[in-house]
Amino acid sequence: MAASSEEVLLVVKKVRQKKQDGTLYLMAERIAWGPEGKDRFTVSHLYADIRCQKISPDGKAKIQLQLVLHTGESTTFHFANENSALRDRDAAKDLLQQLLPKFKKKANKELEEKNRMLQEDPVLFQLYKDLVVSQVISAEEFWANRLSMNSVNHSTSNNKQEVGISAAFLADIRPQTDGCNGLRYNLTSDIIESIFRTYPAVKQKYAENVPHNLTEKEFWTRFFQSHYFHRDRISTGLQDLFSECAKQDEKGLKSMVGQGVKNPLVDLQSLEDKALDEGYGTAATPSTSNSNRTVKENSNSAIIKRFNHHSAMVLAAGLHVEVVLQTSGWFSFHDLGDWYFPVGAIEYEDLQQEDGLKTVSLNLKKSDRYSHGPVPIQTQHYTTSQDIINSVILVQHEMANYKPCLTQVMSSTMASSAIVALSPGGVLMQAGTQQAINQMVPSEVQSELKHLYTAAGELLRHFWSCFPVNTPFLEEKVVKMRSNLERFQLTKLHPFQEKVQRQYFSTNLTGHLEEMLQTAYNKFHAWQTRRMMRKT
Amino acid sequence: MLVYFPYDYIYPEQYSYMQELKRTLDAKGHGVLEMPSGTGKTISLLSLIVAYQRAYPLEVTKLIYCSRTVPEIEKVVEELRKLMEFYAKETGETNKLLALALSSRKNLCVHPEVSSLRFGKEVDGKCHSLTASYIRAQRHSNPSQPICHFFEILHANIVVYSYHYLLDPKIADLVSKELAKKSVVVFDEAHNIDNVCIDSMSVNLTRRTLDRSQANVETLQNTIQRIKEIDAAKLKEEYRRLVEGLKEANVARETDIYLSNPVLPDEILQEAVPGSIRTAEHFVGFMKRLLEYLKSRLRVQHVVQESSPQFLKDIYEKVCIDRKPLRFCAERLRSLLRTLEITDIADFSPITLISHFATLVSTYSKGFTIIIEPFEDKTPTIANPVLHFSCMDPSIAIKPVFERFQSVIITSGTLSPLDIYPRILDFRPVTMSSFTMTLARTCLCPLIVGRGNDQVAISSKFETREDFAVIRNYGNLLLELSGIVPDGIVAFFTSYIYMENIVASWYEQGILENIQRNKLIFIETPDAAETSMALEKYQEACENGRGAILLSVARGKVSEGIDFVHHYGRAVIMFGVPYVYTQSRILKARLEYLRDQFQIRENDFLTFDAMRHAAQCVGRAIRGKTDYGLMIFADKRYARADKRGKLPRWIQEHISDGSLNLTIDETVQLSKHFLRQMAQPFRREDQLGLSLLTLDQLQSEETLQRIAQIAQQV
Repeated sequence: MAASSEEVLLVVKKVRQKKQDGTLYLMAERIAWGPEGKDRFTVSHLYADIRCQKISPDGKAKIQLQLVLHTGESTTFHFANENSALRDRDAAKDLLQQLLPKFKKKANKELEEKNRMLQEDPVLFQLYKDLVVSQVISAEEFWANRLSMNSVNHSTSNNKQEVGISAAFLADIRPQTDGCNGLRYNLTSDIIESIFRTYPAVKQKYAENVPHNLTEKEFWTRFFQSHYFHRDRISTGLQDLFSECAKQDEKGLKSMVGQGVKNPLVDLQSLEDKALDEGYGTAATPSTSNSNRTVKENSNSAIIKRFNHHSAMVLAAGLHVEVVLQTSGWFSFHDLGDWYFPVGAIEYEDLQQEDGLKTVSLNLKKSDRYSHGPVPIQTQHYTTSQDIINSVILVQHEMANYKPCLTQVMSSTMASSAIVALSPGGVLMQAGTQQAINQMVPSEVQSELKHLYTAAGELLRHFWSCFPVNTPFLEEKVVKMRSNLERFQLTKLHPFQEKVQRQYFSTNLTGHLEEMLQTAYNKFHAWQTRRMMRKT
Repeated sequence: MLVYFPYDYIYPEQYSYMQELKRTLDAKGHGVLEMPSGTGKTISLLSLIVAYQRAYPLEVTKLIYCSRTVPEIEKVVEELRKLMEFYAKETGETNKLLALALSSRKNLCVHPEVSSLRFGKEVDGKCHSLTASYIRAQRHSNPSQPICHFFEILHANIVVYSYHYLLDPKIADLVSKELAKKSVVVFDEAHNIDNVCIDSMSVNLTRRTLDRSQANVETLQNTIQRIKEIDAAKLKEEYRRLVEGLKEANVARETDIYLSNPVLPDEILQEAVPGSIRTAEHFVGFMKRLLEYLKSRLRVQHVVQESSPQFLKDIYEKVCIDRKPLRFCAERLRSLLRTLEITDIADFSPITLISHFATLVSTYSKGFTIIIEPFEDKTPTIANPVLHFSCMDPSIAIKPVFERFQSVIITSGTLSPLDIYPRILDFRPVTMSSFTMTLARTCLCPLIVGRGNDQVAISSKFETREDFAVIRNYGNLLLELSGIVPDGIVAFFTSYIYMENIVASWYEQGILENIQRNKLIFIETPDAAETSMALEKYQEACENGRGAILLSVARGKVSEGIDFVHHYGRAVIMFGVPYVYTQSRILKARLEYLRDQFQIRENDFLTFDAMRHAAQCVGRAIRGKTDYGLMIFADKRYARADKRGKLPRWIQEHISDGSLNLTIDETVQLSKHFLRQMAQPFRREDQLGLSLLTLDQLQSEETLQRIAQIAQQV
């Protein structure tokens, strides 16, 4: 992308960066800085990469603007123009303020999507280069009907995947002392959501009490004061708002325990084939009364219970949104009448021939992303090994099953005559060039021609898609598209034509292209005259 | 001899194991065999013994396979089914072997109403009241038609059941007494067999038991009164039978049909029930006196410890109860309950317990001790008197088994040191072998962590266990590991109370919160149902990739019965050495007895006991050669030779000098390295020839030589 072609929104001179004087440019999509006297940028950031901007306090001697990037790096500009430094800085700041949010919102979702499409489709990428970069049509126009086309296919992948809950979300609320015998808890909306999802009882309380009885702040203050939050404290009184929650949790835990476990291998109760009656054995009988447990012991066991409950709840909250894993081969229960036993537990997989252990396959939208991690966007197109394997298998499969359908084929004479007709010089191919194109021109010209064809095709597609013209918007567009076509012909086709004619005189490679364009012009003309007639 | 093995490949140690087993069977002796868990002990045992049965049908008629937990019994049945299918496929004949798995009514009952009950006792009672005769369903038979298994057990070639059915005299009498002499008995997972023996012979009496027995006696009296009015002849008939006595039983024992019952010693059989308790009323009166006496004994204010003869002397002086009628107590009560046609047996368990106690205390003068504690040690103010009648000699219960059956095999993954088992169980084995695990890659990584990063020695020994530095270092160890170990981590503490304390102080110090950032935490509780739930959630968390930590207790239910295969346990941490609580009087008495009778020093036994539990705990994570896991011993005492030397050979040989007394940082480094290596794909080709053999390889001379080195004779 040539810098000169970008729209420059603001130029600020005398801006220092790393003790060097230079000029700051704010362009449509990026901010750049070049040292004085040089015509290239040493600093250039896309707006999409910028997380936030910071400015130096008003009273400071140095007037600065700092850009913090998503990567964590930062760049500082020092505005050094003596009399207008502050104004310059504010102008830059204001403009950035307008630009950044626009990019922030769009950048993440849309750019990613666009990048993905360009990356996956080299033809599209070439088209983009031909049309947008060389400014035949604007980027918005280019994407206008692309994205809507694709959004259907990818709407599933765009679904935001809900994230599970961190097990330590309560730990993240680090209380800070505020210096005068108080504690400050920092709550974010994420944490609140985590609390609600993990402890539905609290959510219910919240719905009941906020805002009619308590303000939100009061509610959370009480929450942190309650013994419910501090798991090691024993319930003190009934006035505690959350004592009910604790009871509900207890109930939940009991019912979970009551449900028992499905896997017989972990069911400790039925584990033992216990034949000893009560009273036999050396193990001391556990004391039945709880009264002789000390307060300390009670609180300890309360902690343990809470941890089990907490972990179970976090796990459950995660499972609501995650796709529930299919039971893997490891614990595939096979039906033996009405009793279950996990097969995996008794089999030695390495002792027998493999019979294709069933495993859960990782469902990845982009497997290369998984194995390489996030990579800078490059133009190359990955074919994953899985794709190759799959297609090889597919081809093999097709070949294995291939049966020539002999009843529906043509006779050999008819076939050969058809081939003759389709060959260069044949009946059907007389209009075209007699020689194959690959023998006439070198490969660069061929590929250039190919690009021209795709670009022209794209433009024409835009053009033809406007018909029938029945809305003012389409009218506007069709006029614009026509001018686009003309521009294309002027800036792209004609130079190429001239070049070809200079080098390979006689051949007319672009004849067909021009024919297509001419057809479009004719159509446009016809439409326009008809419109004129209607108007008059 | 042709052995059918239902897999395509075989581990070298399995082959070696079978060789040793065959040697034992040939010699008609007993054997102690240790082979690592997950190397296919069960299938090796089954395939060899079944083959042996087929080859020498006259030498070995029956296989009695005893295992410990219900899932293990089920596993055995599944493997057996697999073997049978293989036999049918290879030989083309339908198998003539009859296999039988027995379990308590709770697990086998097919009655839809009854099987919905969850507690064994209720099921027993209900079942008894519904069928009124001994009916238990057998899984292989038509479930709609209950079959009396006492008949089948005589004909079955393979019997699979729990230890108790053979060791507990009360049950063995019902189930196992007619088993043929030419049987092979296998005790799998037998590392705790001495405790099972002791448990089956020990009795605890509390005030509650006595009160309930009192009620039982009342009921008995009323029933007798009623029957007397209706059907006096019945009681007379019983009286006559008692006079005839136990002669029949005696005849049977002499003709070698029954397995002798240690509760019912020989002398009893030669005599009739003494006159003083022959009539029903007299017997009830006798029981009343006995109960009163026991109640008076429980009223003590201080701890009393005495031997059986002392107790007998005292009871004779106080309430004039002779030794002889006491000995017949259990037999007499059973007869009475049968005569009175009482169906709800469960209600009478307290009085049955008392009668068993009476018989035991009067029969054995040695190997038992009586301890009466008026209160628990922790709570001296609350009276909760308990009379412990404790067996100290495991050989008493197992003696009939060794004497009766020609071959008894004791096997487990952790039996080291091997020589102690024959000593405490009092028998002479013909083979004692320990097998190592042949590995294509070192898939276990035992590390001994002795110091924290601050160089403070970490240990769970009594003096330092409350030390904050130790607790903090333990916490840091877990925290660091939670960051580097994928999926599941299981941590074992030495006792439940210790775990509670540590968890509480970790909570206060915020260590648990930091751990929660990495993994979910689940904790074992004394409540089995709660723990089961935690365990299931733990597995769920490992399954869906979140990763979890299970805090558990050595000697607890989890450490004894739950396997953590593959990603369910990538690391096991053993916090401290799991010594048994040494202040218990019962244990002290037992230690004393061991020292006097078997010349086993107290410390030796305690260390042995601690190490076998530690080995059990860490062995939970490795369940096969494709599995891998870290084994972290977090106590500096493990580095000492006397502790390390008591670990099973298959763990010991992977402890290098470089992995002793590590700091936490060093441990993390080593673990990272190990885990990275293990995460590489592992294929069959890597194993083949080294730790996995095909039939061809098995027949080569060179391999056989190598196999010969696997077994280590002791």
